[in-house]
Amino acid sequence: MLRFMCHIATSLFLVAAPAFAAPLDAPKGEVVLTVSGKLTNTNVEGTAQLDLAMLEALETTTIETTTIWTEGNQRFEGVSLAVLAEELGMEGTVLNATAINDYTVQVPMTDAVEGGPILAYRLNDKVMSVRDKGPLWIIYPYDSDPEYRTEVIYSRSIWQLDRIEVAD
Amino acid sequence: MLAQLSRTSFRRVAIAMALCGLALAFILFLAINVSKDLRLLNSASSDNVQWTLSQAEVEFLDFQIDLDLSARAQSPDLDGLRRKFDVFYSRVTTLRSASIYAPLREVEDFATNLEEVQLYLDAAVPMIDGDDAALMADLPLLEQQANQIRPSVRRLANSGLNFFANASDKQRENLFSTLSQLAFGVTLLLLALLLFSIYLVYLNRQNIRRRREAIQTSQRMNVVTSTALDGVIVCDVNGAILEFNEAAEQIFGHKSADVLGQNLGAIIVPDKYREAHEAGMARMRASGEKRVVGKGRIKLEAKRADGTLFPVEFAIQSAQTDEGEVFISFLRDISHRVAAENELVAARDRALAGEKAKTDFLATMSHEIRTPLNGLLGNLNLLLDTKLSAKQTRYIDNMDISGKLLMSHISDVLDITKYDAGKLQLRPSVMNLSTLLQNIVDNQSGAASANNSTLAWGWSGAKCDWVNADKDRLQHILMNVIGNAVKFTRDGKIDIEARVHGEVGETADIEISVRDTGLGIAEDQIDSIFDDFKTGDTSYDRDVGGTGLGLGIAKRFVHSFGGTIRVESTLGQGSTFFIRLPLEPAKAPQSAAEVAERRGGSAAKHILLVEDNEINRFVASEMLTAQGHRVTEAHNGKEAVDLAQQQAFDLIFMDISMPVMDGRAATRAIRALNSAAARTPIVALTANAMAEEQDAFLADGMNDILTKPILRENLDEILAKYAGSAASGAAAPATPAKTQALIDPQHMAEITETLGAASVHTLLERFASEVEKTLQELTPYQPLDVLAAQAHRVAGTAATLGAVGLRAALIRVETAAKTKDAEALQKGIDALPGIWAETKPLLLPD
Repeated sequence: MLRFMCHIATSLFLVAAPAFAAPLDAPKGEVVLTVSGKLTNTNVEGTAQLDLAMLEALETTTIETTTIWTEGNQRFEGVSLAVLAEELGMEGTVLNATAINDYTVQVPMTDAVEGGPILAYRLNDKVMSVRDKGPLWIIYPYDSDPEYRTEVIYSRSIWQLDRIEVAD
Repeated sequence: MLAQLSRTSFRRVAIAMALCGLALAFILFLAINVSKDLRLLNSASSDNVQWTLSQAEVEFLDFQIDLDLSARAQSPDLDGLRRKFDVFYSRVTTLRSASIYAPLREVEDFATNLEEVQLYLDAAVPMIDGDDAALMADLPLLEQQANQIRPSVRRLANSGLNFFANASDKQRENLFSTLSQLAFGVTLLLLALLLFSIYLVYLNRQNIRRRREAIQTSQRMNVVTSTALDGVIVCDVNGAILEFNEAAEQIFGHKSADVLGQNLGAIIVPDKYREAHEAGMARMRASGEKRVVGKGRIKLEAKRADGTLFPVEFAIQSAQTDEGEVFISFLRDISHRVAAENELVAARDRALAGEKAKTDFLATMSHEIRTPLNGLLGNLNLLLDTKLSAKQTRYIDNMDISGKLLMSHISDVLDITKYDAGKLQLRPSVMNLSTLLQNIVDNQSGAASANNSTLAWGWSGAKCDWVNADKDRLQHILMNVIGNAVKFTRDGKIDIEARVHGEVGETADIEISVRDTGLGIAEDQIDSIFDDFKTGDTSYDRDVGGTGLGLGIAKRFVHSFGGTIRVESTLGQGSTFFIRLPLEPAKAPQSAAEVAERRGGSAAKHILLVEDNEINRFVASEMLTAQGHRVTEAHNGKEAVDLAQQQAFDLIFMDISMPVMDGRAATRAIRALNSAAARTPIVALTANAMAEEQDAFLADGMNDILTKPILRENLDEILAKYAGSAASGAAAPATPAKTQALIDPQHMAEITETLGAASVHTLLERFASEVEKTLQELTPYQPLDVLAAQAHRVAGTAATLGAVGLRAALIRVETAAKTKDAEALQKGIDALPGIWAETKPLLLPD
């Protein structure tokens, strides 16, 4: 619970300091993620459109964990949701994350903490194809905390992610 | 006990609490299970696993629709088609590889369909991944294949749903079971708690009751201790006083408040015992050895507050308490008791001293009475040698009888005194039992025939003549018993029987029974017959006389022999006395013939008579001179020793109590002389019959003891024994028993000796005519008082002359007259002529 409060505190801090983020460049390759809604750092028509290189340019977080959808230990690389929220200046309280088949889940902003979920773009050093649940997969460090091994968290672990809407 | 109980209770409580804890843990465990199950149940309701299965079908349909559209469109969105394929492909991959579907993959239906779907996908991948033109060409094939695989996809989703529905049911069942267990556990816990609380209530009540009891006990103890008459002091192992009750305060003079906590030794132990006390306490602390504790009552001295010492009796017990071992002393001030004891001891000592003074007084008085009495009796004896009228002779005879009776009474009293003072000592000598019995029978037959009784004795069974015994005492016993039998038997017979019981060894168990046909003794008097001052029927008192000491003395003497005396009697039919004595058998001394020869040798002897009392000296001197001996007189021991040095004597008679030099000192002096006198026999003359003194006389060198008063028969015996001399008259010839019953030959011999045969003959002739005259006058028709006076007068003369049978017959007549017993009077008078006819030839032989 204390830990949870910490997460909230961290989130508030991040939300309150968007001015530090660098201005967003226009995407050069294929766009893998489009972020819309309440965010300050945009590049295309009020949205933030990012290609794989732009994501890779951001601080990389690696999570080694097992998941209920795979067998054995897996090594995920991606950008922390907290880092992304800070980078893009997200100001909402909830993220509507949508997959390429239009499946949508809600992820509260409070999940965006250090040691929290990442938007994984590589699995075991390989870029993920759609058949391998790419291009992006929200991964929590399931093994690090029992709190992350719940149905709610599993439901938020959306794969084939390509859009996020930041909402209140 | 209390502590042990509360420990037990504590343990029980601990166990109960542990059980409750276990139950609680169990319930907690169940609760966690329930919570987990609930969560599982919760997740099952929003299960996206099931959604995923449905989604697989949805995505397949999505792909199939897009495939159908693309096949009919002119320029289809092939990239969109490819994405839809990829999404479905990804879904199937998840179903194949995800760990959460592992249980599902175990279901055969699911696994088969999944495999079929995968085969389709594997076949489709090269077509999907081909370029747009190739894909366009393959679209109809893909669509056809998709149509074929569609039921498999459908079944895949359904079989999964069935599985999860079953799993969900199972989960609910689990939850139900867990909840039931929880309910059961909770019930159990509640029951346990209920029982526990009941037990706690019980314990609480018990504790309250025990506390109340403990308080009551403590209060009672306090009351007991504070009101106890004995001092109670409690101290610990170190001697520190813990309790000091009121009685202790009074005994020791300390206030309880002042001494609590102080050392016991310093407070009550006298300074002289302090060291020993401290050493004892130290020893006990070191080794646990207890020499005083629990050893019962002990008497010691204790110290009061003012330092005075007093005797105290105390007992100490130890007890274990929570504060360690304590010692409880119960003390009692026994000053008063000790004082009382001392007083009692003093009183006893005084009583003993008084008793001794009494004995001494009696012994002295006896001596002082005997000496003048001896003088009287001696002079009476001498008076008989002078010329006297018949009347005078009779008076003197009477005086002599009275004097001897008085002497015997004094001897009785003295014997009792000596026995009771434990001073009676036997002086055994070799003696002949048969001779003694014969002499006694001879002596008593006169009296027996006077009562018209016969007296006889004999051995029953084997004889035992010679014994080593105190002859005087034995004679005394037998005389008393036989004399009584004679006295109380009228017109009957007295049989004396001697018998040896068992074998004769170191001692002979000899029983002498004296059976009479006399009055008998009333049953209620048998037990007291041997008591002092006990006389028989009072109506006979006057007739038979006596102090009532006779049997008492006999009993004492029998006891001093180690024997027993008892009596069997029937009132009116007679009595039998049994005297049983353990006597030491002895060998016969010199033959009787030798003794007789010595007695027979007659010669005048030169005798030294040492006596300070003039009368006694005169009497003895006259007696000895009358027998033809030469007598030299000495007035005290000194003179005797001087005379013994100058002259030779055949025999010395030595008084004991004398001025200047007493008899004992004189004897020792004579024995020490370097002359023939040193071997001269010395015979003590004494009125003092104390046995131990007599032994002392013998130890001084005396040969024998002659007890005062000096009687002729005794004198003769001594002279025969030590001087080879006897009375000039030879021993009287043996007379038949019948004769003895009528006359007293010894008496007659003495009279003849003293008065001369001629004058005795004259007297007897006068007496004969007087008797014959009286016999004529004695008829029942005379006045009774005249009859009594006449009978009495003649009886006196008869006694003087030794006609004892006649005397007894006359006295019976006198008594009958006085008691106005006509029948007895007639009988008595009728008997007289016969008796006289027999007596006369004996008195006056032709």
